Amino acid sequence: MDLNALAFWTFSTLAVLSAIYVVFGKNIVYTVLALVSTLIMVSGLFFTLGAELVGALQILIYAVAIVVFYVLVISTVPEYKGKTVDGKYMLLSIPFGFILFLELAYVALYGAWQSATGIFDERVINEIGNSKAIGTLLFTKYLFPFEVASLILLVAMIGAIIIGRKKEDVHQEA
Amino acid sequence: MSIPYEYYIVLSGLLMVLGLIGIIVRKNIITVLISTELMLNSVNIAFVAFDMKLHDVAGQIFVFFILTIAAAEAAVGLGLIVAIYRLKKDVDVEKLTELKL
Repeated sequence: MDLNALAFWTFSTLAVLSAIYVVFGKNIVYTVLALVSTLIMVSGLFFTLGAELVGALQILIYAVAIVVFYVLVISTVPEYKGKTVDGKYMLLSIPFGFILFLELAYVALYGAWQSATGIFDERVINEIGNSKAIGTLLFTKYLFPFEVASLILLVAMIGAIIIGRKKEDVHQEA
Repeated sequence: MSIPYEYYIVLSGLLMVLGLIGIIVRKNIITVLISTELMLNSVNIAFVAFDMKLHDVAGQIFVFFILTIAAAEAAVGLGLIVAIYRLKKDVDVEKLTELKL
């Protein structure tokens, strides 16, 4: 077993175990910590795949920036006292989810994968590197979606400020 | 590359199903959003694995956009949760029945 396979099995096992705690864990702070663990393991999987830029961004954006939102809101909202999971949905969703997973796994392992070729072939990517290929494509072909993404972030920021604002502030302005 | 790319797709499917179960069974609305993040991550794994198999980089660009949308979704969704908490003093999904007859 070489190092890459060892890394894959380690990262994937830890990611799945953390994800199970995210789904079924009782304490919400530990749930967020398990989410951070899952995100870091997924980032490690990106590194084993050879996508180093995406793996670094996964840690920077997901495991740092987005999780901070959740921690802030959890500290704002008082502790949730009710049941963690709903029993009657659990009975239905776990067998259904298991069947769905078997189906997805069957399609992934035995499906007829058509190997199409991308814009860059293997030789070009090996020559200029993965990150440079992504940057080139992002700022040429996908430039307009890139600008739209920045607009979406602006809209989301303004929307979050307006939605999350206290009612008293609105009355003071009016 | 010793691990076949198909294994990454199977892992992606497993994380996706776990996130779906989390959305269905969880009662706290914050953890429902956290399960959504799990599902978004599973899609990222599938994108990168297909990319590496097909020697393309377009999927990794879509991972960028998914990261952007996930940040926007977390900001707006958590703002909504704070607003719901101010209104109802509760974050239980069963209690949010304002539209129910």
